[in-house]
Amino acid sequence: MTTPELDGEERAMVEEIAVMLPHFEKSRGNLIPILQSIQEKHAYLSGAAMEMVAEHLSISASEVYGVATFYNQFRFHPPGKHQFKVCLGTACHVAGGDIILENFERKLGIKDGETTPDREYSIERVACVGCCALAPVAVIDDTVEGHIQPSRVEGIFVQFQVEREREEREKAERESGE
Amino acid sequence: MSRVDITKRFAPIQREAARRAEEKKTDGIPTISIVMSTCGLASGAAETKQAFEEALLHKSIEARIVAVGCLGHCYAEPLVVIDHPTSGFPPICYHQVSAARAKVLVGSYLEKGDPVFKYILGATEENDLIPAVMDFPRFNLEQRLVMEQCGRIDPDDIYQYVAEGGYGGLVKALGSDPEEVIATVETSGLRGRGGAGFPAGRKWRLARDNNSEGVIVICNADEGDPGAYMDRTILESNPHQLLEGLAICAYAIGANQAHVYVRAEYPLAVKTIQQAIKISEKLSLLGSSILGTSFNLEVIVFQGSGAFVCGEETALIHSIEGKRGMPQHRPPYPVETGLWGRPTVVNNVKTLSCVPSIITRGAEWFRSIGTEKSPGTAIFSVVGNVNHPGLVEIAMGTSLRTLIFEVCGGIPKKKSFKAVQIGGPSGGCLPESFLDTPIDFDSLTEAGAMMGSGGMVVMDENSCMVDVSRYFLDFTQNESCGKCTFCRIGTRHLLTILDRITKGEGSEKDLGLLETLSEDIKSGSLCGLGKTAPNPVLTSLKYFLEEYEAHVREKRCPALKCRALTAFYIDLEKCARGCDVCVGCCPVEAIFTTTGRKKAIDQEVCVKCGECMVVCPPEYDAVEKVSPPELAPIIERSPEEKKQSK
Amino acid sequence: MINLIVDDKKIRVEEGKSVLQACLENSIFIPNMCFIKTREHPHASCRLCFVEIDGLDRPVTSCTEKVRGGLVVQTATPSVRRLQRMAFKLLMSAHHCHPKVCPVKDGCQLIRTAKHLEIGLNPRPLERLDRDVEEEVDLTFFTYYPFRCVLCGKCIYVCRQKNGHNPLTFAKRGFDTVIGFFARGDPADVPCHHCGACANVCPTGALVLKAEYTKAATANP
Repeated sequence: MTTPELDGEERAMVEEIAVMLPHFEKSRGNLIPILQSIQEKHAYLSGAAMEMVAEHLSISASEVYGVATFYNQFRFHPPGKHQFKVCLGTACHVAGGDIILENFERKLGIKDGETTPDREYSIERVACVGCCALAPVAVIDDTVEGHIQPSRVEGIFVQFQVEREREEREKAERESGE
Repeated sequence: MSRVDITKRFAPIQREAARRAEEKKTDGIPTISIVMSTCGLASGAAETKQAFEEALLHKSIEARIVAVGCLGHCYAEPLVVIDHPTSGFPPICYHQVSAARAKVLVGSYLEKGDPVFKYILGATEENDLIPAVMDFPRFNLEQRLVMEQCGRIDPDDIYQYVAEGGYGGLVKALGSDPEEVIATVETSGLRGRGGAGFPAGRKWRLARDNNSEGVIVICNADEGDPGAYMDRTILESNPHQLLEGLAICAYAIGANQAHVYVRAEYPLAVKTIQQAIKISEKLSLLGSSILGTSFNLEVIVFQGSGAFVCGEETALIHSIEGKRGMPQHRPPYPVETGLWGRPTVVNNVKTLSCVPSIITRGAEWFRSIGTEKSPGTAIFSVVGNVNHPGLVEIAMGTSLRTLIFEVCGGIPKKKSFKAVQIGGPSGGCLPESFLDTPIDFDSLTEAGAMMGSGGMVVMDENSCMVDVSRYFLDFTQNESCGKCTFCRIGTRHLLTILDRITKGEGSEKDLGLLETLSEDIKSGSLCGLGKTAPNPVLTSLKYFLEEYEAHVREKRCPALKCRALTAFYIDLEKCARGCDVCVGCCPVEAIFTTTGRKKAIDQEVCVKCGECMVVCPPEYDAVEKVSPPELAPIIERSPEEKKQSK
Repeated sequence: MINLIVDDKKIRVEEGKSVLQACLENSIFIPNMCFIKTREHPHASCRLCFVEIDGLDRPVTSCTEKVRGGLVVQTATPSVRRLQRMAFKLLMSAHHCHPKVCPVKDGCQLIRTAKHLEIGLNPRPLERLDRDVEEEVDLTFFTYYPFRCVLCGKCIYVCRQKNGHNPLTFAKRGFDTVIGFFARGDPADVPCHHCGACANVCPTGALVLKAEYTKAATANP
């Protein structure tokens, strides 16, 4: 086994983490807070990132990996630009949250926990976002949307599509203007 | 330091709080309080706030906009309370205030003095003009003790809490002997609100007696039940009450370090509590030498990374230590060796939030609420098929019937009540015959459910008990830490069997196996998660056996819920010519036009999402749902059309 | 020294020992997978070592019970056997290994347990569960067979005791839990001396030191 080559994106991540780590005291209790702040900044934990944390805390990389894989919060692959979190808490289940999840999955052709190949969208199931009275609920990027209907899923994509096209058009206009 | 000195140190804070409250009352400027907790925001409270701000600016009206926490009335969000002192009306609570309604309210009420009666939920105090909310069953049957100030005060403004008597309990406690504080909590009979109901005072005493190398107190706000959100609400709406309780506990047991373990999935709660800690430290209500005494308390917020099992205290402690959150055999209990090997008290948010008023108003007052063995109140998040879902705080001993049918307004759409699931994944489903059970720790446990986290899901006739059990088992087996055999592998077996049954592939033998396995998991598992995981299965088997039997013997789901056992079809007698609504909404193009331009469903393509049934105009009401699926008449789709749809 | 009665037999053991250890030292076998006598806090995860103790209303794991004077213990009551057999069947339903290819053969704790409990190796009436894992996993110096592993955690414990840190760990969670060994890059940089302690302690042959390293392990025990 050889050290995997770091691509540009991961290299930038490694550099930023190197700057961030010294701000954390080298105590074992800081392991989870460190992992959380890495993920907050970079959206996921790469292998290199976990090795760096291990070195900083003088524990084995395995141990970091063992802890990180235990908790739902941590991701090991970069998520999509837009994230759909479908709530499958009790109230949402009773109100048909699984049907909403399925609609997202069918629309994107991926399963929960996966990201589309163009890294545009990813779907996650979450246990409960605590908005049970609004069931079924989905979190579109950072916005909680309540009383979501299966047909609303289509609407959300149309919205993103329109936005994306507008962005592209504006970008093209800017470029042609320059 | 004497009691007098402590009171002296607190006096300026109290004076400032009183001054601010007085100013608000007398300056004549209207106050608009908008509920901005997570569910308010999800219902559009941010847009509402913006609309108020724009309308006020546009009309050049001066008003104070305050973001308050949650009132618990989730069904009526976004909620707004407008106090318009010069209008002659009392403060009025408005429901479902959209951005458009916000503009109307500014124009009509604030500008012209017309309070717009059709948007009013009720007045917040008794008066002769507008019915007060206190007269509604939802308000007058509730008894708010922990959530008294939730939704009434700005969580970021410590002075509003102080103006309501806040931190008075801490001042009183600091002036007395820690022994006295523990004795008061013991006499009050306060039991842990985290689920099991262990007496809080006894836990504190055990920790104090073990105090050899610095005790630690942890507030458990790792609310993992997928249907409960009261801890989040308390953190978001009244963080200082919790901090005060935490400080009193720390003082009583002799701790200098406290941790608040909050789920990272609750970003607003994390932010609110962090801010509250900072402010309290600044005012010397937390931090070093609190109010001039020799008592120091450092409060650290730890964000839980998402593991239901971390609600179990030993797992929670491992998680703070930076390890995998796997529970360990007790004893030793955390009060003997806990965090970093030190004696540790782990108390739930609600338990600690009860403490300040117990200290201020006394143990006898607390005992006068609720029942003898379970004094105080219980908080439930009531969701599912009820008219008024939300957070409800009632005195212990109230019956389930009162809670569901009076406080929460009963079952919507004239459907009938079927079951209530109490206590989330660790709890059980109770049928109608248990509706008169009083709500307290012991009665619920005896019935086979448990107080647990306080999650309550009300289910009507269209809920399938097998499906609900399957849901909870899916959750627990997913959240099992994987340490012990019974929970790791046993819950997976339960799920596989339930899966089979809901798909119509179950056998009679499966029912017996479900029961045996459930009993063994209950007695064989290492921690509370495993020991309680089979409860949803055991109670539903006990009270709803005929439903399991229908699935197994007739391959039929009586509640029409399990998708593999149901089918939709369109009644050609009822379907209207030329109405295409269902065709347009179907996500998989399963609906096609058959003879006479009427519509039919291609059963091979249909994913049974039910959208067509929702959109079919009520005057036709042509979509039918049946179980078993063979009952649906089959209408052949022409091969060309089949090709087209693909 | 403490006197207690196990299955009508009087035994004498030192104070501070667990009931399980007391029994094992006195040739009374109680099935177990995860017990290590030097371990301060028992892992208590395999759920096989149940016994009944007079005065307690239900079976308890004997690894977590300390001996006390006058204790009356029974190791083979119907309720003890019921839990043990279920725990064993549960383990077997996720353990796919044929006795004929078992690398530890007679040393396999599972076979010994089956004999003791007088049941077969078949998990019936439980069905065999599929697991989302590979048949064999390459852990640099070891080969790990997830289908044989019962997750007793002994390998992790002995490694930490011997080497002071944890190159081995539990990874993932719940039913997907496996033994993990996170190593990318040059094996020489991995903090493992392939001493073989972990493989030796494995009760089911799930962790096997690769042939090229076994020599080093015997030379440097």
